[in-house]
Amino acid sequence: MTAMNRLFLLAGLALLIAGCGNGGGSRDPAAAGQKVYRHSMDQAPVSIDPLQGATVYSNFVILNVYDTLYSYRYLARPYELTTNLATSMPQVSEDGLTYTISIRPGVHFVDDEAFPDGAGREVTADDFVYSMKRHFDPNFISQGAWVWQGRIRGLDEWKEAGSNYAVEIPGLKAIDPHTIQIVLNKPFPQLVHTLTMGFSAVVPREAVEHYGKEFSIRPVGSGPFRLERFDTARAVLVKNPRYRGEPVDLAALGYDASLHDGLGLEAIEGRTPPFVDRVDINFVTEDAARWNSFSKGNEIQFAKIPTEQFDAVLSSKTPPTMRPELVDRYNMLDLVAPEVIFNTFNMDFEEFGYSDDPEREARNHALRCAMVKAFDWEQRSERFYNGIAKIFPGIIPPAVPEYDPDMSRESVTRDLEAARKLLADAGWTPENLPELTYGVAASVKQRQLFEQFRGFMTEIGYPAEKIILKQYATFGDISKAWKLSQLPFITKSWGLDYPDAENVLQLYYGPNGSPGSNDANFANAEYDRLYEQSAVMQPGLERTTIYRKMNQILVDSCVSMMGLSRTNLLMWHDDVIAYPDRNIVGGFWLKYVDLREQSGS
Amino acid sequence: MSAPSATAVPGDTGRSRGSLWSKAVYKLSRDRFGMTGLAIVLVYLVAALGVWFGLWGQGWSDVTGPMWAAPSGEYWFGTNVIGQDIFERAVYSTKVAFEVGLVVAVLSTLLGAVLGALAGYFNGTWIDELVLWLKGVLDSIPFYLFVAALAFALKGYAYSMHVAMIATFWTTTGRLVRGEVIKLRGFEFVEAARALGVPEFKIIFRHIIPNTFHILLVQATIVFVAAIKSEVILSFLGLGVKDGVSWGLMIAESTQEVLAGQFNNFIWASVFLFGLVMAFNLFSDALQDALDPRSVA
Repeated sequence: MTAMNRLFLLAGLALLIAGCGNGGGSRDPAAAGQKVYRHSMDQAPVSIDPLQGATVYSNFVILNVYDTLYSYRYLARPYELTTNLATSMPQVSEDGLTYTISIRPGVHFVDDEAFPDGAGREVTADDFVYSMKRHFDPNFISQGAWVWQGRIRGLDEWKEAGSNYAVEIPGLKAIDPHTIQIVLNKPFPQLVHTLTMGFSAVVPREAVEHYGKEFSIRPVGSGPFRLERFDTARAVLVKNPRYRGEPVDLAALGYDASLHDGLGLEAIEGRTPPFVDRVDINFVTEDAARWNSFSKGNEIQFAKIPTEQFDAVLSSKTPPTMRPELVDRYNMLDLVAPEVIFNTFNMDFEEFGYSDDPEREARNHALRCAMVKAFDWEQRSERFYNGIAKIFPGIIPPAVPEYDPDMSRESVTRDLEAARKLLADAGWTPENLPELTYGVAASVKQRQLFEQFRGFMTEIGYPAEKIILKQYATFGDISKAWKLSQLPFITKSWGLDYPDAENVLQLYYGPNGSPGSNDANFANAEYDRLYEQSAVMQPGLERTTIYRKMNQILVDSCVSMMGLSRTNLLMWHDDVIAYPDRNIVGGFWLKYVDLREQSGS
Repeated sequence: MSAPSATAVPGDTGRSRGSLWSKAVYKLSRDRFGMTGLAIVLVYLVAALGVWFGLWGQGWSDVTGPMWAAPSGEYWFGTNVIGQDIFERAVYSTKVAFEVGLVVAVLSTLLGAVLGALAGYFNGTWIDELVLWLKGVLDSIPFYLFVAALAFALKGYAYSMHVAMIATFWTTTGRLVRGEVIKLRGFEFVEAARALGVPEFKIIFRHIIPNTFHILLVQATIVFVAAIKSEVILSFLGLGVKDGVSWGLMIAESTQEVLAGQFNNFIWASVFLFGLVMAFNLFSDALQDALDPRSVA
């Protein structure tokens, strides 16, 4: 070997060794002394635009890069509203129609090229007004307009008149740079709850106009973090250096030593969030990959535990108790999710839903009821949710105070004989049963859920070949299909945006039909009347009674197979200081995450 | 002088042609590994035919069994998380494997034969250039990316996997056939056909392509195996079988189950796949040896 060859060989070896390293230690934020928290989610958001904050995944990121007027207290349960960008809870007029909200002065958007000289300007009341108007601008596609549709005086008319931003809306005004006034058409007790949602996040007009369609992936907000990178695998959030400083008052956040002891939360008392320099949110669809990454130790630090791992993690399921050997390494939280998992027919499809022919409609009702009776919720819970999920009749879940524990469980009790009889009496045979397209976001679990569903239906004589699987590449794709009313049957989970049954009952309110939240396109005059009646009522027995009547209408119409709430097991590494309940609170808790000293490097 | 018949081997008489095939069959029958492979493939074929004719494997989608049952007299290979019989699913998947293998092997071999023969016969012309360019382009695209792109372009079309495999697997066959045809077009029987005024396409399809059968036969077996393996990988990745079951889907399901210490899906799907692929490889190798003119002549 010549000297020159040796030189090349050495150079090659050096390159190889360098390539096998960590990609350049100086570029690793953790190695550079930054605090990096590595979070995980089971799906990736499609868009970070508040207009598209319909999924928990989008909402989670939106709430961390943008500001909303209100949020929920980090640790208080039941969930309690608190201020965020607003300085105080709103001043509400006696008739319950006018809300006056002051926002904090001196809050700035992050620096961005969308602003003159690249310096983020102050957030004003006009920004909030603009952000709300966007939902009603036909130039944008909003998944959140339904929240305020018909509720704010003049907003719908403004849309119909051509959405001219120069035109003032009587019910949505900036009285001065730091004061907002909202006037409602009729009382809407949940208004403040809606102002915690990602949909209501405050965006700067300059950025929307500067980035155009790219705004969905180039957020410019005033939240605790700034989005540095976003793709289908990962979102990287870095600390917003201009985020307003408010030292933590644990008592005000709802800290209760009897509930939160041992989580290390005392360490954040008096300090100003956010506490970590950077958050890596890894979107890991596959349960196995997520669990492997979590248990590896040096990758993701938070994971929702796949049901297959329950036995390996728990020494007891009732109540869920972590195995002693894991206690020193991980923290665990078991939460019955404030959600409804349900399957619904799309009533727009004449094969299963509404028909101009009354006879066909009656037969369709029988068909839906038969399928509801054929569905086995117990088995679904046992096979996919480890048998610790909560099964309940109707759409109102146990997580809200309006839940009725005494409601008949007939609609969630499998009865194959009754189902077959319903089909036979209505003249349904394997030959004339309609084809049912069952859409899923492509994943092994979704396919198994489909196969289980098909298996249930074949037991009442539904031909397997008539239940057709349609796969969508991502959750965003299937979500779009739901919004466009392209599927006759929708399998869905709905996480409550606020702790009020109105939030699930609106899923069946006629005017909320596609592309709104009423994917079932359910339209029932009595239901709509009751919804409108209850919508202006303050919480109380009278309203609860109406809610329960509406729930019964849904059960009687057999519009959906409902419902189930999962018991989620959340685990996080012991070096992470957090209470990572994303239910209701959404992503607000991320700014309070800290790392213990040993992993802070 | 008359042109040799369709299956003639150039330069040989009809008698020697027959002896060439006889020798190949004789040689193949003496290859113990090859014949073992063929026997195993036939067992799989019987299993697939049984599914086709509805004799067994029809309960693959039933969810009436217990969750993760251990192998027993009732459930020979146990059950999966939703109570489906793993034996039924593994056997049914044999049909899926044969369907994919046969469709892709037949169509891609035909495509390769036609395009290869055209390129070879019109060697040096724009037809040859076009086929070579097409082949070069297809070979340069990573296969799995190509399938993903095609699946996206075809909007969830159930047979996008088949289309992708056929569109890419023909290139090797085409290259081999082109080389063989370049050689054959100089033979006397081709020149004689041309002198007699036989149309060129007739020469290609009636006289030249039949003389590449030994290549096509071997290629078809190789593609058959490649298609089955690709189907499993694609189904595992969610790009393959859209509805139904396959060994790839079973292995994909098992990724969830192994976390819970359940291995039946993984083991049995792998065993079935391994058995068929290994058997077909043995048979394919034996066939290749038997049909190699250098060793048979």
